Amino acid sequence: MTKSHDAGRRRFLKGVGIAGAGAAIADHLWVEAEAEQKTPTTPASLSGNVKVVLDVNGQQREAQVEPRTTLLNTLRNHLDPAVTGPKLVCDVGTCGACTVLLDGKPVYSCLVLAVDATNKKITTVEGLGTPDNPNAVQAAFVENDALMCGFCTPGFVTTISAYLKKNPNPSPAEVREACKGNFCRCGTYPRVFEAALAAAKSSKV
Amino acid sequence: MQQQPQAQPSPSPKPKKKIRVPRVVNGVEQMVEIEVDADAGPGWGPNDKHKLLNHRVTRVDGPLKATGVARYTYDQRLPGMLYARVLRSPHAHARVTKIDTDAASKIPGVKAIIPAPLTEVRFAGAPVAAVAATTPEIAGDAVRAIKVTYEVLPHVVHAHMAIRPDAPKVVAEENNLQEKGKNGDPQKADAAFANADAIVEGEYITSRIHHTCLETHGMVVDYRGGDSATIYASTQGTFTIHADAAKELGLPESAVTTTVEHMGGGFGSKFGLGLEGLLACRLSKQTKSPVKLMFTRYDEFVMAGNRSGSWQKLKAGVKNDGTIIALKATQYRLGGLGPGSQAGQPYIYRMGDTYREVYALHTNEDSSIAMRAPGHPQASFAVETLVDELAYKIKMDPVEFRIKNLRDEVYHRQLRRGAQEIEWSRRNPVAGGNPGPYKRGMGCAVGTWGGGGNNQCKVDVTISRDGSVLVAVGTQDLGTGTRTYTRAIVAEELGLTMKDVKERIGNSKLGSANPSGGSTTAPSLSPSVKDAAIKARMLMAERVAPLLGNPKPEEVVFEDGKVSVKGQSLTWQQAAASLPAAGITSHGEWRADLQARGVHGVCFAEVEVDVETGHVKPIKMVHIQDGGLPLNRLTMESQINGGMIQSLGMALWEGRVMDAHLGMQLNPGLGDYKLPGSLEMPEMVPIIDDDDKREAVIGIAEGCIIPAVGALANAVFNATGVRVRELPITPDKILMGLMGSSVLSRG
Repeated sequence: MTKSHDAGRRRFLKGVGIAGAGAAIADHLWVEAEAEQKTPTTPASLSGNVKVVLDVNGQQREAQVEPRTTLLNTLRNHLDPAVTGPKLVCDVGTCGACTVLLDGKPVYSCLVLAVDATNKKITTVEGLGTPDNPNAVQAAFVENDALMCGFCTPGFVTTISAYLKKNPNPSPAEVREACKGNFCRCGTYPRVFEAALAAAKSSKV
Repeated sequence: MQQQPQAQPSPSPKPKKKIRVPRVVNGVEQMVEIEVDADAGPGWGPNDKHKLLNHRVTRVDGPLKATGVARYTYDQRLPGMLYARVLRSPHAHARVTKIDTDAASKIPGVKAIIPAPLTEVRFAGAPVAAVAATTPEIAGDAVRAIKVTYEVLPHVVHAHMAIRPDAPKVVAEENNLQEKGKNGDPQKADAAFANADAIVEGEYITSRIHHTCLETHGMVVDYRGGDSATIYASTQGTFTIHADAAKELGLPESAVTTTVEHMGGGFGSKFGLGLEGLLACRLSKQTKSPVKLMFTRYDEFVMAGNRSGSWQKLKAGVKNDGTIIALKATQYRLGGLGPGSQAGQPYIYRMGDTYREVYALHTNEDSSIAMRAPGHPQASFAVETLVDELAYKIKMDPVEFRIKNLRDEVYHRQLRRGAQEIEWSRRNPVAGGNPGPYKRGMGCAVGTWGGGGNNQCKVDVTISRDGSVLVAVGTQDLGTGTRTYTRAIVAEELGLTMKDVKERIGNSKLGSANPSGGSTTAPSLSPSVKDAAIKARMLMAERVAPLLGNPKPEEVVFEDGKVSVKGQSLTWQQAAASLPAAGITSHGEWRADLQARGVHGVCFAEVEVDVETGHVKPIKMVHIQDGGLPLNRLTMESQINGGMIQSLGMALWEGRVMDAHLGMQLNPGLGDYKLPGSLEMPEMVPIIDDDDKREAVIGIAEGCIIPAVGALANAVFNATGVRVRELPITPDKILMGLMGSSVLSRG
């Protein structure tokens, strides 16, 4: 992974695109990666610790990480103060709990290297709203009891917030489709769907 | 009434009163008399007269969780904290003869490597060593660099192989098959079969399924060599950790504090220090640094918990009038190294002359761990399938057949209601009788649980002079809504709103509380909260009485943010201002009369099966659940949904797959272990049974995960005419059934 990390990442993402079970978001990545492949990149050799500057929720954040460190682990383990809204659940791009927005597009941050997330706007669940000023999806999750233990919630909220920007008036079937890359274990799905539809009806996403 | 004059006045025991409460004994509800203090104070009152309870109250921690602010154990990061990883055995049975850590310990950033406290491993995934390093990536490198030499021993991981006399022994010198009890008279049961008009005999198998908590098991042990330590734990029991942790750290128990602010799912699998906590303590003690040991997803699958599998051989006889008259059952609990769990047959049914033998059948797999209603879904699936088979055999409607063989009238009421909700009349009584390749069918099943509480919770309510109210108890909120009802009970008692009260939970230095297992939290905690709230109200009433013309404390009304008596009224702030400088604190204890045990639930399911592919699409599920006083309708419905969805997984998709030769799990990841996902969700109808008028709190979490598996299996049969007796009901089994092959692949 030290030599030409970009190519390695693409191979990795492509593998996930094929094998991933909840592949909605991974599919996006795959498409992105294929597009990227067409633009020639300079192979760079990275090793040891490297400095990354990340634009997280509108703030420039710096960290020293090994090049192999995922964006998720960088947010959680290397930024100070940490950004822990995105959760580590599977670490292999199957569950969606680590979903963040890269330039507005949802990605699994456990499948993105921090060194590849520089020069992009990173939005986490914390950047979408706060307890006192939640966005429409966050407010609807509370109102519709679309969460129980809450560990999958940041991922769902982020996925749905991005989706409603793309499709402000989704059908119930479209909402299910949009959520297929996120797992919940407590059993909140029916109310997640209700919350997404309720949020779509309000204007604040 | 005559009283014996007493010669000497001794400290007289508190006067008692007797009340009748329901208890479930062997699945049948009975009323029993219990004694409570006569001055125990008012009860909850009628279920339909509450201001906050039995309403739809949004979670108090909802905004924190929806915005990513809620801090879980996995989110803790402390200065100088090390990350730990566990090295696991690839062999299902082996002796560890050598651990070479030379290469691993030379990796920059590795701070400690310790052996696990086992030398013989009995399942693939058993911990062998643990590493602490400055990043989780480096800890992973170190784990891979450790060289372990094993003496490999023979193993067995499949029940049908483990039962053979020549099978490798899971534990040397011990039989893999251990008898756990016999019940009933086999001769009488055999004699009764002679009088049966129809007999059904079958083998029913349920897979081992995983809790799959999204937050893996783990802890952060913050010990830096001083005289105290703090443990951040993802646990169902705030008070189940510090004693064992103190022993590991060499500290007095009182010097260790456990905190669990938010936790990401447990489902029965998170109690006590655990091996993960033990290793974290040892690493922290050795490095004098905080250590975070959170299991990886792989770890979570191979050793952090599974519901025991089951293998049940059942034979039942029925009369043409619908009376089941005999049952013989041989039940194997498949708990790996552990004893497993499985409710005794005929579960909650009345079956005349019954006989059962129960065994634990061991394999080289990690021990099963309690999982939401331990042992019940397994027994329920088997008996509900059997009952359905009997009903079809004598051509009786499955709903009426159940009513005939269930004693408890609550089920009769719930079954009739469920049939109405799902429109049972739409069902084709001929199994597989619908035309076309997409065949719909319906099924139903019933379940029970205890859900009573016990005397373990100590709650403090403090009202300060500025009017703020704090309720404090060390309990934990698993996502069940504990925080929310704790606050709501106090707010309602004091006539306040949800935002006027704050709660503090999840800390072992607060008032003790029971671990959350067996649906015992609400019935243990809420009576203590209510007791503390009543006492706080009375204390305050006494204080404000002089301002209101000296009424008796019980005459003071607390309502709508006012404290008043006949025309005279104080705002809450005015009333609070009359309190002493330190405010007032009341202490609440458990009251048996505020809780009860014994819940009933029925589930109806409709599915559509593509008989060309065997694919099952759930269409609709209805679950009706009683539970006395619903503390919060919104969160109770969510729990019922959760029960149905987890049952969907068990019925149709989930199951650990073991490789017989390698002895390893083949699907230890979320890409291969199929959880219910958004695309599979049917229409779900969670119904709270308001015909239950008991003014008492009963836990319902377990009750609502039991019947749905059987309901779904029976719906598949009604749709296709194929009876799949082995879970999960995957397309291959349905197709084999349609082709006329035996769908039981082993046994």
